[in-house]
Amino acid sequence: MLPCPRRTSLYAVPHILLLLILSSVLCIHGTTPSHEEIVGDFFNKNGNADGGTSDHTNNWAVLVCASRYWFNYRHMANALGMYRTVKRLGIPDSNIILMLADDVACNARNKFPGSVYAEPGRVLDLYGENIEVDYRGYEVTVENFIRVLTGRMEPSVPRSKRLLTDASSNVFVYMTGHGGNEFLKFQDNEEISAFDIADAFEQMWQKRRYNEIFFMIDTCQANTMYSKFYSPNILATGSSKLDQSSYSYENDNDIGVSVIDRYTHYVLEFMERVNKTSHATMKDLFDSYDPVKISSDPGVRADLFTRPLDEVRLTDFFGGVARVEVGTSPSSHPLPGSESDGDVAGDADEETRSAQRARTHVPIQMPEELRGPEVKGGRTGWRAWCGLALLGALVGWVGWSST
Amino acid sequence: MPPHVHPKGTTLRDPSKLFYQTDYNRRLIIASYWVIIVLAVPLWWYTTSIERLSLPASRVHSHAGNQLRFPVHIKLESAQDASLSISLQQLILDRVRTSPQAWKGLDVKVRNPHGVEDLADLYTITPGDGVPLVSQRQLTYPIRSATLPMLADTLASLLVPPTDAHRVAQYSPRYRLAFTLLNEDAAAGKAILGWDISGAISRHLLPIFNALSVLHNFTVESQVQFHAPLAFSPTTVDNCYGLTPEDLTVFVNSAEWSLSSSVSNDPVLHFILFIPSASRRPLQILDANGRPSPSDAFLLPQWGGIVIYNPSAELQSHAQLPSPVLHSVFSTFAGQLLALLGVPSLPLQLQSEASVLTGWQLDALLRRRALENAENAQDTLKSIVKLVDQIENMPVGQDVKGDVQHSLTALDQMYTSVSTSLNETLHQSAHALTLASRAFFNPGMLALLYFPAEHKYAVYTPLFASALIPLIAAAAREFRAWRSQRREAGIQ
Repeated sequence: MLPCPRRTSLYAVPHILLLLILSSVLCIHGTTPSHEEIVGDFFNKNGNADGGTSDHTNNWAVLVCASRYWFNYRHMANALGMYRTVKRLGIPDSNIILMLADDVACNARNKFPGSVYAEPGRVLDLYGENIEVDYRGYEVTVENFIRVLTGRMEPSVPRSKRLLTDASSNVFVYMTGHGGNEFLKFQDNEEISAFDIADAFEQMWQKRRYNEIFFMIDTCQANTMYSKFYSPNILATGSSKLDQSSYSYENDNDIGVSVIDRYTHYVLEFMERVNKTSHATMKDLFDSYDPVKISSDPGVRADLFTRPLDEVRLTDFFGGVARVEVGTSPSSHPLPGSESDGDVAGDADEETRSAQRARTHVPIQMPEELRGPEVKGGRTGWRAWCGLALLGALVGWVGWSST
Repeated sequence: MPPHVHPKGTTLRDPSKLFYQTDYNRRLIIASYWVIIVLAVPLWWYTTSIERLSLPASRVHSHAGNQLRFPVHIKLESAQDASLSISLQQLILDRVRTSPQAWKGLDVKVRNPHGVEDLADLYTITPGDGVPLVSQRQLTYPIRSATLPMLADTLASLLVPPTDAHRVAQYSPRYRLAFTLLNEDAAAGKAILGWDISGAISRHLLPIFNALSVLHNFTVESQVQFHAPLAFSPTTVDNCYGLTPEDLTVFVNSAEWSLSSSVSNDPVLHFILFIPSASRRPLQILDANGRPSPSDAFLLPQWGGIVIYNPSAELQSHAQLPSPVLHSVFSTFAGQLLALLGVPSLPLQLQSEASVLTGWQLDALLRRRALENAENAQDTLKSIVKLVDQIENMPVGQDVKGDVQHSLTALDQMYTSVSTSLNETLHQSAHALTLASRAFFNPGMLALLYFPAEHKYAVYTPLFASALIPLIAAAAREFRAWRSQRREAGIQ
């Protein structure tokens, strides 16, 4: 079992002076409260919301594998496994943004060139013959990810790299890589914080770029990544809680590295039993989580989400469209350009829709813990400045007295 | 410079006598470091601060409460006295009161035939017996006091036709229409190898394109494919193959069909003529009870339309699409296109004289699109102001500010044009929305990433502490030396 290497943050700059600061900062770090308590009883919540089918008319998926290098083979396999699943369940390639930092399929160390497998038997080639990676290699950056979400692109960016969602889109966001408390590493080079993703989602909400978001993340301390969300209609789940690592599942002796992570493996295993017309719900998926098998405690956050989870179908996020209108026979309107507007929605429909609109604009009650960092910011800063002053005084004194 | 070599017999020089070790020079050197640091501070400040121009927030907020109100004038040409128009007005007002949401943004006034000045967009109701008839902006209706409530209902369905917001594609000034002739498996024989697409488009769709030219600009592309497998196998019913309602939702095999090119970012509406494989004919749509339904077409909201055609058995091995079938298919496509674009249908009991659209329909669509666009633009502007307030490190450049201002100007012009020209109102609303969206999506508006305070100390301390602390120590030492020198000088 390979855990993510534990890193506190990017403080790994080798410098003796830093050690002093580091120790003081580490003391501060430990006090951040866990979000788990707040989301604990998610199944009992939201009973009053009007459930039923989703309002969306199109589905999108953003799948991000944030780590590089051959030894992170399993993260590539995670993302490709999700890619295969959403595609199998009906999201077209044009609606999938796949960000794959490293191309292990074509890595010189890959004994099976052009293939990526997620299980030791190597039965299913995830790379296959029909795969469209939209952001590859060094294009997988925090900036590009935020740009994909917010839609802030240069005009020259092609359609395949854009998330062209609207107010009736359901978006599935999957991320995997190495992470820690409220951050996820991108390519050993930069990090995205929980705040950045939360802000990006808020910007999407403001521009009505989604109807609902399902956020899934598999990394160490993954549940901290969704703790900062504050925009409505987001359902989030992660592989492990604060101070917990997420582990890999299995090695393949011929490939020589771990081929998939435990959490994603069990999610994908569950998804294999789901087909395009399945009625399986989110609750079924979350109930299938087994902390013993996964070796960490997966979390769910549903306080921003309005529909009860036992009425949210998995295909609302993993599948294609769910609504179809069968029209009248063409023979009934022989004139060119005559209307075939079959059924039309009445006033009742209009009213439910306005009611739904009203419901989505209900101000969101933010849990007290979520406001924590701003409140504590002052104190943290004060302590850090004291540390700095102390250090300066020490060095100054040494310099002074040596004369 | 050659290395300094002591000539033989000379003693070492006193370091304090070296020219760069004189008090003056040494202090000059130390001071110059500090001068550079002090001078660099403003530069550092300037280069690291984010450009955040102020946005016209108050104008945006004052606009946010506004709503378009379209004046609608109806002239009742009736032989009888003015009481009819007054009671019609009253009946319409009742309907407005019962469903204000549907009548949002409309000011309906019923006028007498006398005393009506020449208004540009005037709807006239002329008396006439027989079947009610609509033409451009005219309605022929039997006007009697007994039929007035029915007339009011008819007017309601003409002025504010009900719509399905889920079906109608979001407004865009440009659309791409992708027509695809899909053979499930041409190798199985009796495939359709071609169709007279340009003829069909000019006959069935050009009139629509022309009628809607105020609203949208259309680009058309088409293709023929010979192998397009379904992702499921249809159920077998009696003598045919059937598609259950659930099959229809997953009918489009997006993983294997490539339906449209991705040359532009305009929204795409797809239209598919599906020819089942020869081994699976006839393929029919089943209703909820599992019986074959008479329809062979269905519509995916906001996505496009699909028609299934089963070639007859006497078809030659490979053929073009027969002309009558082509026309019936394209008239279905035309209907689906109108439905997807939100063109309201005429009430069933009315007959139409117009070839494509009546003025009533087009005006209702224009009004609704203008309302949507205006609301959308105002919301977007409000969001920009709110986000810029909320996210402190989000840059706001000159182009964003300019777009916001121009969008507001377009909104102003839209409100002034509302009483004169519907086309102009829609044009301005679309312009306002385009500019507001462009401002929102400006690539320069990407906020800097969030860094916790600890990160900043961790990054900056190793960088600056190692350089600054020796400088501070040197300056302090020099200051102390200077002070003791002065004291000694004072004593002497």
